Amino acid sequence: MLPALCTALLGISMLAQAAGPQQKAFPYAYDQHDFSNGLRLITVPTDYPNVVAVYIVVQTGSRNEIEPGKSGFAHFFEHVMFRGTKNMSPEEYEQRLKRMGASSNASTWDDRTIYHTTFSKEDLDELLRIEADRFENLSYSEDVFRTEALAVLGEYNKSSAEPLEKLNEVLYDTAFDKHTYKHTTIGFLKDIEDMPNQYAYSKVFFNRFYRPEYTTIIVTGDVSPVAVRAMVEKYWGNWRRGSYKVDIPAEPAHSGPRTNHVDWPSPTLPVISVAFRNSAYTDTEADSAALDLIGQLGFSRNSDLYRKLVIEDQTADFLAFDNFDHLDPNLFTVIARVKKEADVSRIRDQILATLKGFQDNPVPMDKLEAVKQHLRYAFALRLDNSEAIAMTLAHFISLRRTPETINRLYDRYAALTPADLQRIARKYFTENERTIVTLSTKQ
Amino acid sequence: MKFRWMFLMVLSAAAQSFAGQMITQPGKSPLVTIRLVFRTGAASDPKGKEGLAALTAAMVAEAGSRRLTYQQILDALFPMAVNIDDQVDKEMTTFSTETHVDNLEKFYGIFRDMVLDPGWREDDLRRLKDSAINFLQVSLRGNNDEELGKEVLYNEIYAGHPYGHYDIGRVSAIRSITMDDLKQFYRTHYNASNLTIAVAGGYPKDFPSRLQQDFSRLKGSADKLRLPAPKRIDGRELVMVEKQTRSVAISLGFPIDVRRGDADFVPLLVAKSWLGQHRSSGGRLYDRLREKRGLNYGDYAYIEYFPRGMYQFEPDPNLARKQQIFQVWIRPVKPETAHFALRLAIHELERFHRQGLSEEDFEQTRTFLSKYVNLLTKTKRAELGYAIDSQYYGIPNYNTYLKSALAKLTRDDVNRAIRKHLPMENMKIVVIAENCGKLRDAILSEARSPMKYNSPKPKEILEEDEIVEKLPLHVRKDSVKILPVNTVFE
Repeated sequence: MLPALCTALLGISMLAQAAGPQQKAFPYAYDQHDFSNGLRLITVPTDYPNVVAVYIVVQTGSRNEIEPGKSGFAHFFEHVMFRGTKNMSPEEYEQRLKRMGASSNASTWDDRTIYHTTFSKEDLDELLRIEADRFENLSYSEDVFRTEALAVLGEYNKSSAEPLEKLNEVLYDTAFDKHTYKHTTIGFLKDIEDMPNQYAYSKVFFNRFYRPEYTTIIVTGDVSPVAVRAMVEKYWGNWRRGSYKVDIPAEPAHSGPRTNHVDWPSPTLPVISVAFRNSAYTDTEADSAALDLIGQLGFSRNSDLYRKLVIEDQTADFLAFDNFDHLDPNLFTVIARVKKEADVSRIRDQILATLKGFQDNPVPMDKLEAVKQHLRYAFALRLDNSEAIAMTLAHFISLRRTPETINRLYDRYAALTPADLQRIARKYFTENERTIVTLSTKQ
Repeated sequence: MKFRWMFLMVLSAAAQSFAGQMITQPGKSPLVTIRLVFRTGAASDPKGKEGLAALTAAMVAEAGSRRLTYQQILDALFPMAVNIDDQVDKEMTTFSTETHVDNLEKFYGIFRDMVLDPGWREDDLRRLKDSAINFLQVSLRGNNDEELGKEVLYNEIYAGHPYGHYDIGRVSAIRSITMDDLKQFYRTHYNASNLTIAVAGGYPKDFPSRLQQDFSRLKGSADKLRLPAPKRIDGRELVMVEKQTRSVAISLGFPIDVRRGDADFVPLLVAKSWLGQHRSSGGRLYDRLREKRGLNYGDYAYIEYFPRGMYQFEPDPNLARKQQIFQVWIRPVKPETAHFALRLAIHELERFHRQGLSEEDFEQTRTFLSKYVNLLTKTKRAELGYAIDSQYYGIPNYNTYLKSALAKLTRDDVNRAIRKHLPMENMKIVVIAENCGKLRDAILSEARSPMKYNSPKPKEILEEDEIVEKLPLHVRKDSVKILPVNTVFE
């Protein structure tokens, strides 16, 4: 499942096709090109005039933080990428973006880091030039590096009042022993506080992962693929391929269920999260698609449990699930915010009973079809401007480096049967791979 | 942009029976975007019933209609992947939605009933009251120090004024709201003469007239909102919120007598963009506080209301107001640097007022805004929202308005507007922190607040720090209040 995006919406003349039963889920024609250094370019011309979005996807994230004490480093490095090059100071970079009237930012997550800019089409050549410069010629002093580390601490601090951040941190720390998914993208506080001292390691990190073979450039909007290809060749063609292959430690099978609890220091409502190790993202097998459907059927706003807990009994004011796509097995999580502490264990049991229901009983066909229709419309509804198209693509590119994976995934959704869901529920919702974490106000 | 404006037809209702405004933007897209905006909101909440406008909107968009229960609505909308969003601000209540044209008939029947014939069920009310109260007590007071700081700033600036409470309301007031209160508010304020309907996309030709006909049924009438001037701020006033938290969130500001459409709006827009363009690393405050000193994650400035800024890059439309404030958002800082960070922000603001923008800064910011404006209306939802706001402010299409004003603008216009509208002597400063008393004492005694860095700093920064660390803040001693967090919005 895609992480929720703040931009949602619709794919113009293509939507009619997108929603139709025989059409591809990703309705746009695109140009996919591999350069000799390993860099990949995906260009998607759209009908939206004047605007262009460039999303640069680097397949490194907190999953790549394999050394102890380095949690949060991929995210920190995202900050460092704005700190200037041999040819251009950070101030000059900012001024150039300003002259373009560009909206620019970056984000890091478990499996990838994305640098994105949206701007007017006449500035595409310039944008690709200054972006190539920082990917190839990044250069920063230790003083600047140490100052930037404080901004990352500021980022941790600004979210620190949110209990769900802490709950998530504890959930992953509890659910994983070996795999780097044990830590969240922002990292452990002790590692963040040590970041100013990691200047030498930052060079190692850059040399390993900021390489063409880890990178895909997505260009969407009012563009011609031929022209874009020439621009990228001009500025990115000499970028040198690297040789580093990351070896992510596999998470062994667990021998029993796990629980943990977070005591929150100030008044809040209790939260419960029930998680099971899930499938790595796959567009060739049923597993991740089936888990998405189970999540929707069991815990979305029109599910029976939502009706019971949120609308009828009103014992919870929030119920949702996550089954975000990852390169390696991650977590299928159901989360509920509960109004009274006394109801937490009952709601936990109801969540578990709902999951067991998927193992014991095939889901009704009409419900299954409604969810399939929902997913297809919801996806098409996201694609209503060039930036949203690039943003949506970036997620899938970080997993498989091609838009085709979207069509394959939606084919998997379409093919799922009640028996598939039952089989997948039995495969993943096992007690040994279960982690339950609760949070409540410290008594 | 003029070209596009020609297709954006504003049909005055004079020729129809519909008493409101209609904006249509027909197109080939199979998507149909609908936006209903009533000119009513939290400023019309009766005293003691703060939150009534927001709860009424929730009872329309997040509850059942007379025909269908909320669950039946969720079930029906689910396969279409349609959401109905409601947003209540001081003077506007917005319902926005989008559907594929294939589903338009089925969806519209449900949506129309929700708005025209709400279900007014007690179980929906109980759920939505809980939700509003939990939002205030947990999501805002407990979990989001930044938004809390901003909203306390508005509450304090507008104390005793119709804008003087948060849009969602107060906990005890929400508890006291009855079904009759909601029905009464709905009957009075949800009337066709208050309503703008905007629709875009590949809808059937007769759809706009059906909308007008259907919504003509809303017959109530409300008194026109009258707003007094906000109370004058006397010097620098400090309001602190005491809560358990690991960092210190700061917001500060004061009312301005400028809004979209006024002669000085675009000059001030350039000024605030240079000082602190939202979530951009190109602003002056961001550069001085974060980039040069690593004090926090970011620092920005505003001349229009912009809630939820930590979650989004562009502002939501339909938050139009007759009165606005100038505001600075300093993202959380470590407690030991809070006094210095506040001083540095004030130091920058005083310099900003004194010196204004250089010619180069002005040109660069003007170029930025004249291109950046295109990105604000990249979706149909936003385009319709901006069109409604333009109607409210009596200006043409926002892109046209901004670009033509920017083309004529001079640096002198900007610097004159800064001097006129942004004096930095009188302001409210809001701080969310633990151990407020300690910070208050330091601020009132004007104690030095030297910075310690984790790396060598250029001479220019160190010399400036020597001035900043002893910069008098001139906070009025008798203005200081410390509010326990559980009393805020209570």
